Amino acid sequence: MSDKKAGTSRRGFLKQLGMAAAGAAAFGAEAAAPKPRKDVRRWDATTDLLVMGSGAGGISAALEARRSGIQAMVLEKFHVPGGSSSLSGGVCYLGGGTALQKALGFADTVEDMYRYMTAASGLYADEKKIQLYCEGSVAHFDWLVANGVRYAQKFSEEKEISIPDGSLYYCGSELVHPYREQARPAPRGHVPPSPHLIGGRDLMKALTRAALDAGVQLKLRCSAERLILESDGSVAGVSATDENGKSINIRATRGVVLAAGGFIHNRPMLERFAPELARCSVPWGRAGDLGQGILMGMAVGGAVQRMHHGFVILPMYPPETILNGILVNSRGQRFVPEDGYYGLVGHEIAFKLDDGQAYMIVDKPHAFAWKDFRFNVAAEAATVAELEGRLKLPEGSLQQTVEYYNRHAKDKRDPLLHKAEKYLAPLKEAPFVAYDVGLKNTFMPVHTFGGLQTNVDAQVINAWGDPIPGLYASGRTSAGLPVAPYIGSGVSIGDGTFFGRRAGRHAAGRKA
Amino acid sequence: MKHALTAAFLLALSLATAAETPKGDAERGRLVFGQCRTCHYPEKAYGDHNGPNLYGIFGRKAGSVPSYAYYSEEMKKAGFDWTPELLDFWLANMGKFLPASTMVVFETTPQQRADIIEYLRQFKD
Repeated sequence: MSDKKAGTSRRGFLKQLGMAAAGAAAFGAEAAAPKPRKDVRRWDATTDLLVMGSGAGGISAALEARRSGIQAMVLEKFHVPGGSSSLSGGVCYLGGGTALQKALGFADTVEDMYRYMTAASGLYADEKKIQLYCEGSVAHFDWLVANGVRYAQKFSEEKEISIPDGSLYYCGSELVHPYREQARPAPRGHVPPSPHLIGGRDLMKALTRAALDAGVQLKLRCSAERLILESDGSVAGVSATDENGKSINIRATRGVVLAAGGFIHNRPMLERFAPELARCSVPWGRAGDLGQGILMGMAVGGAVQRMHHGFVILPMYPPETILNGILVNSRGQRFVPEDGYYGLVGHEIAFKLDDGQAYMIVDKPHAFAWKDFRFNVAAEAATVAELEGRLKLPEGSLQQTVEYYNRHAKDKRDPLLHKAEKYLAPLKEAPFVAYDVGLKNTFMPVHTFGGLQTNVDAQVINAWGDPIPGLYASGRTSAGLPVAPYIGSGVSIGDGTFFGRRAGRHAAGRKA
Repeated sequence: MKHALTAAFLLALSLATAAETPKGDAERGRLVFGQCRTCHYPEKAYGDHNGPNLYGIFGRKAGSVPSYAYYSEEMKKAGFDWTPELLDFWLANMGKFLPASTMVVFETTPQQRADIIEYLRQFKD
C-alpha cells in the first residue's frame, strides 16, 4: 500500500517536473540554457565585448567599449539595426542644466532632477543609479551631441513631443501635483526634432553611425541564443545563429552585454510575469522584444526585478482640451489627476482598477469633433444623470462626482486631485460624452520594464547579490531606471544609453 | 519583369489559400493594428511615420507614396499593386517575401491579419 502510494506520488512528482519543463519551454527558457565552455570545439569569431542587440542600450555599450580601446561586436537578430529605440519617439530624459536647457533659458539643478526622479519612482527608486544618472546628465547630453545626435533650439509647451520641430519639453509629471511642490519643475525631455514622433530613427541613426565609424562590428541577421560559460561560472561568449542559419560560437574575452530589449512580444512570458500588462490591448515595440536576453541571463543565475512593471500609455492628448474632462472608474469616482503624464494615467487603470474600466467624461466644448481611433464613445446624453444611467454606474455616483468637481472647478480649484488650473472648468454644456478608456476597448500601448538586476556598472547580479563575471545587461533587458508608473518619456532611452556606456567602460577595465 | 512574375505567382498562391482566410472585423482590427502604429498611420491627415502612410493602400503601387523617403530598393522595385491577399501573404511570410524591405514584420495569426486588413479597408477615398 505504502509502496503504491510512494509510486503514485513519485509518478506525480515526475509528471509535475515534466509539466514545469513544458511550461518553461513555452516561453523560451529551455532554448536559452547556457552551454558549457568544454562543449565548444572551436570559436568561429573572437572579440573583446560581445553585445546582443543594436538598440540604444547595445549600441552605446559597443561605442563606449571602442572608445575605451577594446574591440566590440554587435549581433542584431533582424536585417535592420536599431531595435525598439529606433521606432520610439527618441526622447532622452536629461537635466541638471544641460546645454539645451541653458540655451532655452531654463534653470535646472542635479538636486531638482534627483528629487523629481526619486519622488516619482516611489518605492522602486534606485537611489544610487538615479544619483549617478542625474550627476552625469549634462555630460551625457554633450556625448549624444558629440556623436551626431541633433537637437533644435526650440522649447515646446505641448505635453506630447512637439511636432514638427521642438526639442525640449515637459515630458513627465513635473508640473503635476504632488511633484510640482516637491521639486522645482524643469523641462527634461530632449528629443531630436521630427515631423511625426520619429526622433528615435534619427537618434539611432546617429549613434549607429558613430559606432561603425569607431570600429564597432555589426552583424545583422545574427541571433544570439545561449551564453557560453567557463567552469568557474564566468561568461566566455555566446552561441548564435548566423545569417545563413548556421550555429556559431563567438568568444568574448571581456564580456557579453545582453541588450535585446524587453519581452512585450513574448505572450507566454508576459502572462507569466506581467499579467497586468498582458491584459492591455497594444504591445508596443519592435518584433525582437521577445525576452531572449532576459531568459539567457536568468538561465545563468541572473536575478530579475520588477518583472510586472512597464509603461501603460493612455494617450488622451493631443489635443489637451480633453483634459478638461474628468476620468472616473466604474463606481463613478475620480481616481487620478487627468493632467498626469499619460503613463501615470494608464498605470492607474491597468494596475489599480480591478475591472480595468474607466470613462473620460467631457461636455460639449471638450469632446472630440471626430471619431478617434484611440477610444470609442461609450455613451452620450443630455444630462449627467442620464449619462450615469447609460453607463450603468451606481445611482447618483457620477452626479455627485460632477457636482463636487464643478463646485470647485468654477473657482479654478481641485481639492481632490489638484489638476492644474488650466484644465479646470465646470462640466455644464450638453451633450455630455463618456469615452470608454477601459483596457478592453482602448488603444493603450504597453511595454515591459522588468528585467535582469544590474549594479551601477550594468553588471548582472545573481541571486546572492554578486555580479556574474563577464555578464552585463542594458536597456530593457535590465531592470533599470524606468519603473511603474512611468515617470516620463525618455527615462528608458536615457537609462539604456547611460548605463550601456557604463557597461562598455567597465568591460574595458576587466582583464581579458 | 522578374518582380512582376514573382508577384503574379504570389498572388496566385495567396488566392489558392483564400478559401481558408478567416473573416476580418474592423473594430477588432482597430486594436490589432495598434501595434503597427509604432510605424504606420492609416489616417490621411497624419502623414508618414517611421513607415509610409497607409491611406488607400489597396490598389496602390507598392513603394509609391511620394512623401515617404525611406523605402528600401526592394520595395521601390516591387512592381505590384497592394491587395489584401498580398498584404496577408507578406505578413504571414516574414523574411521570405520582400526580405530586404526595411519593415520588421511581427508574428500574427490569420485572424489578426484578417482583422488588420478589414480595418485598413476603411481608409480610402
